Amino acid sequence: MAQILSVGIDIGTSTTQLVFSRIEMDNTAGYFTAPRIAITGKEILYKSQVYFTPLKTQTLIDADAVREIVAQEFRSAGYSPADTQTGAVIITGESARKENSAAVLQALSDFAGEFVVSTAGPDLESIIAGKGSGAWQYSIDNDCTVVNLDIGGGTSNIVFFNAGDTQGKICLDVGGRLIRLGTDQKMNQKEPSPTVQYVSYAAAEAARLAGVRVEVGQSISRSDLRSICDAFADCLAGAIGIAPVSPLQEKILTPGSDVYRPARPSRRICFSGGVADCIYHQNGEDDLRYGDIGPILGRAIRENRYFKEQKWIQGGETIRATVVGAGTYTTNLSGSTIFYSEGIFPVKNVPALKLTKDEQWAILGGDTQLLRDKVRWFLEQSDAPRMLLALQGLPDPDFATLKKLAGAIVDAMDGSLAPGEPIIVVVERDIAKALGIALQQTGCGRKMASIDSVKIEEGDYVDIGRPLMDGLVVPVVVKTLLFG
Amino acid sequence: MNLSATLSGKTYAFRDVKDVLAKASEEKSGDHLAGIAAERALERVAAKYVLSDLLVKDLRENPVVPYEDDEVTRINQDGLDEAKYAEIQNWTMAQLREYILDYKTTEADIRALGKALTAETVAGVCKLMTNLDLIYGANKVRIEATCNTTIGKRGHLSTRLQPNHSTDNVEGITASLFEGLSYGCGDALLGLNPVNDTVSSLAEVLKRFDEVKNRFEIPTQICVLGHITTQIEAVKRGAPCDMIFQSIAGSQKGNTAFGFSAATVEEAIALLRERGTAKGPDVMYFETGQGSELSSDAHYGADQVTMEARCYAFARQYHPFMVNTVVGFIGPEYLYDSKQVIRAGLEDHFMGKLSGIPMGCDCCYTNHMMADQNDIENLALLLGSAGVNYILGVPTSDDIMLNYQTNAYHDVNAVREILGLRPITEFERWLEKMGIMENGHLTARAGDPTIFTTRSNF
Amino acid sequence: MLDEKLIALITEEVVRQLTASGRVILPDSLSAEPAEGKDPVSTDRLLEDPLDPEALERMKKRTTARIGVGKAGARLKTKTMLALRADHARAQDSVFADVDPEFIKRLGLLSIESQAGDRNTHITRPDLGRKLCPKGVEALLAHCEKNPDVQIYASDGLSSAAIEANLEKILPVLVEGLTAKGLKVGTPFYLRFGRVAAEDQVAEVLGAKVVCVLIGERPGLATAESMSAYIVYNSYVGIPEAKRTVVSNIHKDGLTAVEAGAYITEVIQQILDRKASGVDLVK
Repeated sequence: MAQILSVGIDIGTSTTQLVFSRIEMDNTAGYFTAPRIAITGKEILYKSQVYFTPLKTQTLIDADAVREIVAQEFRSAGYSPADTQTGAVIITGESARKENSAAVLQALSDFAGEFVVSTAGPDLESIIAGKGSGAWQYSIDNDCTVVNLDIGGGTSNIVFFNAGDTQGKICLDVGGRLIRLGTDQKMNQKEPSPTVQYVSYAAAEAARLAGVRVEVGQSISRSDLRSICDAFADCLAGAIGIAPVSPLQEKILTPGSDVYRPARPSRRICFSGGVADCIYHQNGEDDLRYGDIGPILGRAIRENRYFKEQKWIQGGETIRATVVGAGTYTTNLSGSTIFYSEGIFPVKNVPALKLTKDEQWAILGGDTQLLRDKVRWFLEQSDAPRMLLALQGLPDPDFATLKKLAGAIVDAMDGSLAPGEPIIVVVERDIAKALGIALQQTGCGRKMASIDSVKIEEGDYVDIGRPLMDGLVVPVVVKTLLFG
Repeated sequence: MNLSATLSGKTYAFRDVKDVLAKASEEKSGDHLAGIAAERALERVAAKYVLSDLLVKDLRENPVVPYEDDEVTRINQDGLDEAKYAEIQNWTMAQLREYILDYKTTEADIRALGKALTAETVAGVCKLMTNLDLIYGANKVRIEATCNTTIGKRGHLSTRLQPNHSTDNVEGITASLFEGLSYGCGDALLGLNPVNDTVSSLAEVLKRFDEVKNRFEIPTQICVLGHITTQIEAVKRGAPCDMIFQSIAGSQKGNTAFGFSAATVEEAIALLRERGTAKGPDVMYFETGQGSELSSDAHYGADQVTMEARCYAFARQYHPFMVNTVVGFIGPEYLYDSKQVIRAGLEDHFMGKLSGIPMGCDCCYTNHMMADQNDIENLALLLGSAGVNYILGVPTSDDIMLNYQTNAYHDVNAVREILGLRPITEFERWLEKMGIMENGHLTARAGDPTIFTTRSNF
Repeated sequence: MLDEKLIALITEEVVRQLTASGRVILPDSLSAEPAEGKDPVSTDRLLEDPLDPEALERMKKRTTARIGVGKAGARLKTKTMLALRADHARAQDSVFADVDPEFIKRLGLLSIESQAGDRNTHITRPDLGRKLCPKGVEALLAHCEKNPDVQIYASDGLSSAAIEANLEKILPVLVEGLTAKGLKVGTPFYLRFGRVAAEDQVAEVLGAKVVCVLIGERPGLATAESMSAYIVYNSYVGIPEAKRTVVSNIHKDGLTAVEAGAYITEVIQQILDRKASGVDLVK
């Protein structure tokens, strides 16, 4: 058995959080066969408090302030950056912009330990939140369909699970901080009408549908805010297939989102994100206590006629779902029969060149120029000096075929990579060790690695950690970047 | 005691009673492997002649494993009904055979007789029986036992539902379980052979079985067939459990190889009486199979039928709810082909009945035997005729975990219908309530496992 | 007899892993290639009009057991019955048929026999399958390199199909991989009617430090092509079974032959480095 310490940091539209978790792994294969190392347990060791994401402007993160938060929480948890072996920093929701990513990366560079910063696209965020909330596990434990709605400050990330399989995702710009409010001090009423300080495009669209005026600097009534939130709630209901699709949906679809339409309603609904607490729990506090529409949106969803008819579950995490997901579900393990040169790992943020099946076959058919061209082109247009080659591999190949493949790979990569850069190949099928022997036989002097059972797509960035379990496996974090 | 016979002018002499028993056995590859089988057909019959003239007391007084060395022999010898034995000790084995088959001999007579027979005597008379004799003799007797329900009543044929899974995935097990229930299987037992013999794994499956049993109010028994010590630990930690299982052998050495002793069984029974979920009183489940002693070198030079009978002598001391012979699991080194497997199945059932235990049979075969599904269907029907308490049921006959084939969920109903047999009455009522059975036949809805998912959260 | 038990255990494990790596869907499962040469039955929906079709699909994903198959009266449907018979026929054929001699010839392997002499004896007399026939010993001495670091050979065991499916793919990576490590690899050959423990006599005859037999496993209905490697250090006739290191589940849906070969080269290197195999290696 082995265990690693993982850190997850989520910098969202409204909140920033951090968790430390322990990931346990063990050999799950029997004594009589090749090892199969799998993650056998995950345990949250420490949860930070929930911070408001420090902003410089409405959309620009204050990276230095984020750094302070992270430094403080490492101290509180009693860990140093060197203690963490894996993890992910994800920047989500409206904060997921390239300039934020760059600034945070810069600010957190000395916390980087074995991990790096990435921004999660809306689809990835949906899955991470759905896993972190407990919805995914529920769907496995109860062998049923579950939809998770992670409703944060800026977006609602929705994922549909069927007994552990991800069926689809959709992300809408529905969130608690799409309208920000101040109290108008001049009005001396018991429930003063708030003043609109910020209104997002999506909230303006919802207002238009609801027939409500919302303008920055103007006051707005609570009932008008509720009407806007009712429109949002109907839109969410439509998106998960329990109500007609709202005309709002296509207008407020988050850029880059999938548009999945479930064939039938899921068996259970699970909420996470900051708004989830306002959905599950009703209390006597002022709806405007956060200076936004979060509590009103929560109330609107709880009282929504479509949602009321469905069966809800409450997962383990609400507002922390994304950070828990980031801390515990982003790390995968490679296959357990792999090959690598001594000292080659860890590597961080290595961009992946993915060969299509057709390209793979063309190369095996003898077209080695194709691979040479692709590698050269990839390195030229990339700002990183490193790369890895990702391919599907073959179902039950013979060794001669692998030698041919290895020859073509070494030929192309050795010719284009800068001196000293390693040759890293990642295959989906469990053939990496054999391919590794073939790579070695080419006599190439570079450091080389061939790992498998990891699926990588073109444009993904990959972290590969130090070998674990007597060197049998390596931890792998595959990051799909929103802004590549 | 005469130990030789002359046939066709040739005299066949045998070393001792153990040798007679071995040579008189119907041909089994395992006895050849052990080097104790009759070399030729005529030698086999010569041994049967000698055996038929031996007295009951010759067999009792010559146990194949010495009394001093072996717990099983002691349990057997010390547990006999001595008064009854005194009446029959001077019968020849031929007389014993004919007494069992005689019209005048009643079910009660045979039950009383069994209590006075040692395993060697039971095995001996079995070797003098043809296949039809074995069926005819066994059919005279029913052995009932009661856990939550009562098994073994005349007119009934039950099944152990065996929803095995290659990784013990509880949902996968439940899927297979629902499939089996929807075919009317499971009145004897819902019983899983686990892959992982760990307390937590056993407890998890037992908990699911218990939930399903209670949720649908199924009148049956549950058990997960881990090692006896693992099951004991699971029950101690609060796992719901109706019955505890163990594979047994016909010698103490064999049982030691299996990792338990008589004391372990006594501990299991005491524990279940206190903490088990069944009403009882019969709470043990044993499995046997010809050849297992040889495979652990615990056969003491005795043949596999005799060693098998000794399992039953051991078992009856603990009043099991069920015992079954996993007849074709061990492989062709012990039972070569379908002929040997069918013979062994009939022998084991007969010997079990005569020993007074509630006997079932896992009519099965492995892929390296000369047998196929036709043979195993034959055996199920023959045993149904012989009055076996139960057979097994797995999805379509293919056990994905034990990697062998036994009877399909479908088979038991065919056998029931052909022979006019029914499930245990309370279970049949339950099947009717669930819309699975009507007038002893499967309904149109039967075979749909989702009748359970639509009524539950599983 | 112990090795028969071991084999039974291994076979169970093979099936377990086969099924674990096969149809049971894992969360992030990799897309599977459509299998070639599949029988024409597997995708049919046999159970008509289930109350909850989605639940049935989910249930079928959770187990490789053949559920949701429907019925004809109290009996199996024709397609189910034939699929079972086909799987069993494949399994039986792989036990009872010989490895094609042309196949052995094409690989350029010397072929010898155990003392079993024929298929039925091989099946029923594992003791004879553990001994080489005298002619075979002579042939080994005449044709094979003596005192190698590693002696690799193949044997039918209980599945000829396993050898025909995997041997050609595993041998080159094994031999080249071991040679690249600077090891002296003996002359590979084929043993007909062989049981695992025959490798102990092979070790004695050829003076090999490590012997690795590639042998067909008892077939199941899920696959008839599973092969195992039993690797033993400094062996002798009568060595305890626990001293063998086993790599099982080698077939196209389990550990592929070429990857198994690569893995085994490393295992053998480790065995030579630590001068131990089996339980002694694990310690």
